[in-house]
Amino acid sequence: MVAASRRVLLGSSLAAATVTAVAACGGTDDEGGAGGAPREGGTLRVGALGSVEALTKDPHGLLSNNSDFLIMSLVYDALTVPGGGTGVAPRLAESWSVADDAKTWTFTIAEGASFHDGTPVIAADVVASMKRIIVDMDAAFKVPVPPEQITALDDRTVQMVTEDPNSQLPLLLRLVTFTTREGADATAFNGTGPFKLEDYTDGNARLVRFDGWHGPRPLLDAIEVTRFESTDAMMNALQGGQIDLATTAGAVSARLAEESGAFTVHRRPNDAALPIVMRVADGPFADVRVRTAMRLIADRDALVQQALSGYGTVANDVLGTGDAFYDTSLPQRAQDLDTARSLLAEAGFDLDATYTLYTIDEAFGEVAAATLFAEQAAKAGVTIEVVEQDAGTFYDQTWCKADLYTMFWGTNDSVAFYAQKVLQSSSETNETGWASEDFDRAYGDLLAATDPAAQEDASHRMQRLEYDESGYLLWGMADGIDLHTPAVNGLSTAPGFGWVLLEGAWLAS
Amino acid sequence: MIRFLAALAVRAGLLLVVLAAVYAAADALPGDPVRLAMGPTASPADVEARRESLGLDRPLPARFADWLSGLVQGDLGTTVRGQPINDLLGDRLASTLLLTGLTFAFVLVVALAWAALWSARPRGRFGRTSAVGTSILVATPEFVLGTLLVLVFALVLGLLPATTVVGADGRLATPLMLVLPVLALGLPHAAWQTRVNRAAIAEAAAMPHVEQARLDGVPERRVVTRHVLPLAAPTIAASLATMVGTLLAGAVVVETLFNYPGAGQLVAGSLESRDTTLLVSLTALCGLVVVAALVIADAIRLWALRGRR
Repeated sequence: MVAASRRVLLGSSLAAATVTAVAACGGTDDEGGAGGAPREGGTLRVGALGSVEALTKDPHGLLSNNSDFLIMSLVYDALTVPGGGTGVAPRLAESWSVADDAKTWTFTIAEGASFHDGTPVIAADVVASMKRIIVDMDAAFKVPVPPEQITALDDRTVQMVTEDPNSQLPLLLRLVTFTTREGADATAFNGTGPFKLEDYTDGNARLVRFDGWHGPRPLLDAIEVTRFESTDAMMNALQGGQIDLATTAGAVSARLAEESGAFTVHRRPNDAALPIVMRVADGPFADVRVRTAMRLIADRDALVQQALSGYGTVANDVLGTGDAFYDTSLPQRAQDLDTARSLLAEAGFDLDATYTLYTIDEAFGEVAAATLFAEQAAKAGVTIEVVEQDAGTFYDQTWCKADLYTMFWGTNDSVAFYAQKVLQSSSETNETGWASEDFDRAYGDLLAATDPAAQEDASHRMQRLEYDESGYLLWGMADGIDLHTPAVNGLSTAPGFGWVLLEGAWLAS
Repeated sequence: MIRFLAALAVRAGLLLVVLAAVYAAADALPGDPVRLAMGPTASPADVEARRESLGLDRPLPARFADWLSGLVQGDLGTTVRGQPINDLLGDRLASTLLLTGLTFAFVLVVALAWAALWSARPRGRFGRTSAVGTSILVATPEFVLGTLLVLVFALVLGLLPATTVVGADGRLATPLMLVLPVLALGLPHAAWQTRVNRAAIAEAAAMPHVEQARLDGVPERRVVTRHVLPLAAPTIAASLATMVGTLLAGAVVVETLFNYPGAGQLVAGSLESRDTTLLVSLTALCGLVVVAALVIADAIRLWALRGRR
């Protein structure tokens, strides 16, 4: 396995050399494609990564493949999608509201929504789909509502009552609640989305516009999704003119494409967080002064420039940088080795010991960032040894357990998302063992608040505590990167999974 | 015949031992396949519930026995993600066998012709070029060769497609998409096999009775077909048979590079995702192919040595 991954690694650098060697001419246009007025028609050929063993035809299954997720997002409608000022845009639900208890939610299904076979969508379809996700697919984590509390009030209204107040429900349901017909085969691709399936082979699909869609009419006639096992193969296909758009292609490909000038780089900010995680509950980083010192050791600019090849932005130790309530008034931390050294001395931190930083090659730049941070730590007298693990070992032995490790998260427009998953003391996947009553209270206030001002106040209290006390060193945020020919226009910049929203894309002639 | 059947039984027994060992080893690797499949957002309770519904909470011997009885009935079970392995493997194994089969034929023909020409004039310019050329090719990993082939034939010359694209009917959009993968996989193997063939032919040609036949004035063509090739055949067949294994291994790399829809991509994926059932199913099918190749080589050796003992 070691030999195999070395081969793959060498392979990618070789393929990278290929890109530079071949694409030698052509002008570049950083912002979008060839432009002009939006034009109707054409077939967009899209490449997306996907491994064969993770393939699924079930929209309620585990959608680990980008290629599967893209197909599902175009064929099916979820209740809500990413977008808009709050990060939540309507889709199958045209509107929603919550009672004063912040627990009783009602979602209204879009006027005129119908399945591709012509049947109108009714609330019972939505209810059945959500229950299938929670009960049949063992995926209660995707829908934080008890299944018996999801009911159809009438044909167009779905009610959900959460156990505790949850002001974030519409956000948590984005791109999750793909709706299939009640009682019908859920893997038949009979969706309600902007495109309907014409052909499907092995994770590759040809989709054509669904003229009966309830939303704004898409401009493209068709979208063809081709699945690629590796970024190298996808880049070769883009170079060879076999696809027009390579989704989530990574920074190396972007740098090379930018140098060659033949393709346009589409950047989506706040896409991936690669924090360094320090254990708070016990161990050498339990003292808050040590954690602050580590945060002051990081040279964030260097990390973004080198580990992310410049495709990212400096961050400030608060997770969820794309949140509508993200607090920009917190002072930006920068490298300060003198203060770091004195904090470490004050805390009696053992400078003779060697500390292991576990890392995993899960996202572009993750291992490089760990190595670079270890070099920076040496300047403050802290000896860090970087150990790379494979995913199996990492999630078994390191995640939520080790004193010091790197992590990758792909949802970054919600402070509350992180609070629920890894920050609140009661989370079973609390990555640092942090237990702050003040933070739990602030999070509870956010969930119970129904007016935006109160939500913002609670969110800022959460962020301040995270900034001061938590176990996270979030040095930067990686951009999401798609590469395309100049003819492709109208791509979404929504963070997280905005890249799947291709219904607004169009092709210049 | 009895000797042949005994060898067959030994090979089949060995395959069973290998399968049990692979199953146990894959299971012993650190890592939880269900957690890996569900990702970090799933709660421990969801992971546990899924493990139970997949039957992964049962002890290892019970799971292996279950899988083995399924194998006999032609049902390989499901992946950790709940996909039937039969569906996953069906077309893919056929694709991989098409790629490796074509490559095998390519290697067989090229290596025989090349070795014959080389043996005819071992000290000529062709012989000297071949000695260096085969060494370089043998030492070139498939992914390097594949990348260079893509660069030259697809991206610069534009003669052949860079990656494999499957049409709506599940077939390759054009058979030309097989050319570069076959070359990338086949050339290093052909070079190696050429050297084996050349050595086997040289060794056979140096045997006293072959020399004698020449001195007796037997025509050269008859010397080659009646004396040299039968002597060299067991070595050549054995080498070709063992090559089947390395061809399948090389397919893992080549299929990924060319996005070829074969089973090779599954091997790497199943190990990474700790999907023991999928991994052992792949091992079983590849093992059957390798065993079949070895059995054919056994048969060729017995045929070539007939009456010579």
